Amino acid sequence: MSAAARPIAGSSVRAVAWRRRSARRALTFYAFLSPWLVGFALLTALPLAVALLMSFTDYDGFNLDRVGFVGLENYTRALADPDAQHALQRTLILMVTVVPIGVGVQLALALLLDQRLRFSGLLRTIFYLPHVIPVVGGAWVWKLFTDPNGGLLNAIIGIFSPDTYIRWLVEYPTVVLSVFVIWAAAGGGMVIFLAGLQGIPTEYREAAMIDGASPWQVTRFVTLPLLSPVIFFQVVVGVIATLQILQQPILLTPGITGISPGTVPPRDNYVFVGHAYNAIFVNHLFGYGAALLWILFALVLLLTLVLFRTSGRWVFYGVQQ
Amino acid sequence: MSADTKPSLNAPHGQLRTTRRRLLAGAGAVAAAAAVAPLAVACQQQPTSKKSGPAKVVVMTDSHEFGDDDRKLLQDTTKIEIELVEADLTRLYAMYAAGNPPDIFRVQAAGIPQYISRRMLKDLQPYFANSKVLKIDDLAPANNFYKSDGKKVGTGDLYGMVKDWSPDFTLYAYKKPFAEAGVTVPSDSQPLTYDELAALAKKVNKKQGGKRTYWGFVHSNNDQWIDRTAMNMLAEKNQSLYSADFSKLVIAANPETLKVVRYLFDLAKDDVHQNPLDPSPNWMGADFNEGQIAILQYGFWYSAMAESDKTKGNVVFLPAPTWSGVRRDPTMTATGWVISSQTKDPDAAWAVFEQYMGGKPAQDRAKSGWGVPGLKSMYPLMPQETPFQKQVQKVLQAELKQSEFTLAFNPYIGEETFATSWKKHLEPALKGSISFDKFVANIEADINTAIADGKRIAGNN
Repeated sequence: MSAAARPIAGSSVRAVAWRRRSARRALTFYAFLSPWLVGFALLTALPLAVALLMSFTDYDGFNLDRVGFVGLENYTRALADPDAQHALQRTLILMVTVVPIGVGVQLALALLLDQRLRFSGLLRTIFYLPHVIPVVGGAWVWKLFTDPNGGLLNAIIGIFSPDTYIRWLVEYPTVVLSVFVIWAAAGGGMVIFLAGLQGIPTEYREAAMIDGASPWQVTRFVTLPLLSPVIFFQVVVGVIATLQILQQPILLTPGITGISPGTVPPRDNYVFVGHAYNAIFVNHLFGYGAALLWILFALVLLLTLVLFRTSGRWVFYGVQQ
Repeated sequence: MSADTKPSLNAPHGQLRTTRRRLLAGAGAVAAAAAVAPLAVACQQQPTSKKSGPAKVVVMTDSHEFGDDDRKLLQDTTKIEIELVEADLTRLYAMYAAGNPPDIFRVQAAGIPQYISRRMLKDLQPYFANSKVLKIDDLAPANNFYKSDGKKVGTGDLYGMVKDWSPDFTLYAYKKPFAEAGVTVPSDSQPLTYDELAALAKKVNKKQGGKRTYWGFVHSNNDQWIDRTAMNMLAEKNQSLYSADFSKLVIAANPETLKVVRYLFDLAKDDVHQNPLDPSPNWMGADFNEGQIAILQYGFWYSAMAESDKTKGNVVFLPAPTWSGVRRDPTMTATGWVISSQTKDPDAAWAVFEQYMGGKPAQDRAKSGWGVPGLKSMYPLMPQETPFQKQVQKVLQAELKQSEFTLAFNPYIGEETFATSWKKHLEPALKGSISFDKFVANIEADINTAIADGKRIAGNN
């Protein structure tokens, strides 16, 4: 072996060893990541892709052997479907009602519990409890609460106005639904806001108070701007969750004890995913239902993008973007 | 740690550092491998007509009707393992969509034509022809709902069987509201007309301060079966909700149909029947048990529970009302079992089916009084001990003579399609947001679209 060749050979051996180590590290990385990746691929990506393909067919859930390609027909039908339009309108109304009020309630609860209160642990538990109650149980609680015959709400109103008989789920279905959704989500959002509040250095607030700021000014000009990334996150999550709402309106339908095809919520609570559910499980239009859900996905994506685009104006990250 | 001790930062580009591109490529490879692996395994499987190993049959039914004792009894009798799946239409459709339907599943009459038209059910005629337990001559008339010649339900091969059944248009009267209203309880031997029934319902209907005391007349299982009620009324005049070939729902253009729909609409509008503006939080059977319904239209099977602590001794079973004087009192549910055309072990599925329908479980059901048996030879087993049971049997025996009629359900739509549309448009119609004519037009539009979809899919056969 020549002297000149020796360094080259040595370099080659090092490179091979380097590549092996690199491959081993990459393998380890993917091995750790694989449970999530497999879950994502099989339970999210694959169903999404299948649903997209399905939306271009006349698949009815049973005719896989003779399914036909229909192009964009399901999408054009969705755009002309008056029920889909009504359902979308009601869903958007629900969203613009529930998201701001819901985030406000969550924030208010978090600000309240961020104070040094007696029994704050107990209060946190009480406020968080609705978040861990299954949606079916929560709906039953609200059905009992709003029951016209002997429900707590009418009983309370009856103290001031005897002979009150309000059929809440008939006369104010969207109000009850909104309150139910806000109530159920309040605890979860409150915990996230509390974590955000506790991440704000106390020095900022103390400095503001030393400068003579009132508690309201501290909250308005120090706490809220520093909390704005959390608010933004909660708004985005709230918008997505509200647009995807399905079980709550069905479960709050009078006389119904579970989710089943044929359950018809009050017209004001007829939401978009509920319409897709009907298309699939009542009318067996799996292709059309998939198209409706992809339209919803596009809407969710669009609204999320809009929120991200506008976030630069009101979300303060504390670092230059 | 200094920057130069971090290997990822100092590694040559593309070798050690995990870049976004490498991450995505790797993730894609893992995902693709995960997705392809089961397909590859599936592709290697040989198609077999029968599963190897011990027989196992998946039964989707109501656990209230088919409990653990029934399952064990059938397992011991047939030596076949039975897996019970709770009856749920959504789940059934999902299982079919996934290519893995239950071997046996519970159905009701309104769904059968559609299942047959979509070739979802196994033709059981050869099995019935050879069975020593289930003899074709012994089948009760309600089993005609499970017959099809490929075009029409009611004649042809058998695709299933009722577990039990009832003439479903009979009435239960709760005496107390009648006494309070000073009205005589109708005769149990002379059927009412539907017009007499509506007039009576208004008399015994009672609200106080907006609160409900008694519903006058409740029917159609919270409107879930509203089309079945309408179809039976129309059948008295040889009319139907649909055109002869089931290609259209015809209400506005058929005065007879319009009259029936108007009648049912008016019961809701007059607030004598549960409706979206004055709904009940419960199932109508529970409301009757609570003494909140004066007249309830329900089948014979309900007699097993009509007498609650509250209503005991105050319930009278009445014959089905008539729309035009031509009495018909068939079943509208014909609840029973069918076997999936995709079952991998039809013999095992039949063995379980046969024992459930003709063996000890069937005898036990007949003795319980929860329905008329699916086999005529078991009719005498129905209970006749208490005064109420005796009164019920007296009326039932007369009704059985009116029950040999099959309602012709539309094969192109699902069993919930009409009721869903009805309930959807009833609320705005009762609120006055839309007129009755618009209510009818909306239902026609919904159902005719659904029929067109169903026809197109069936046309692909």
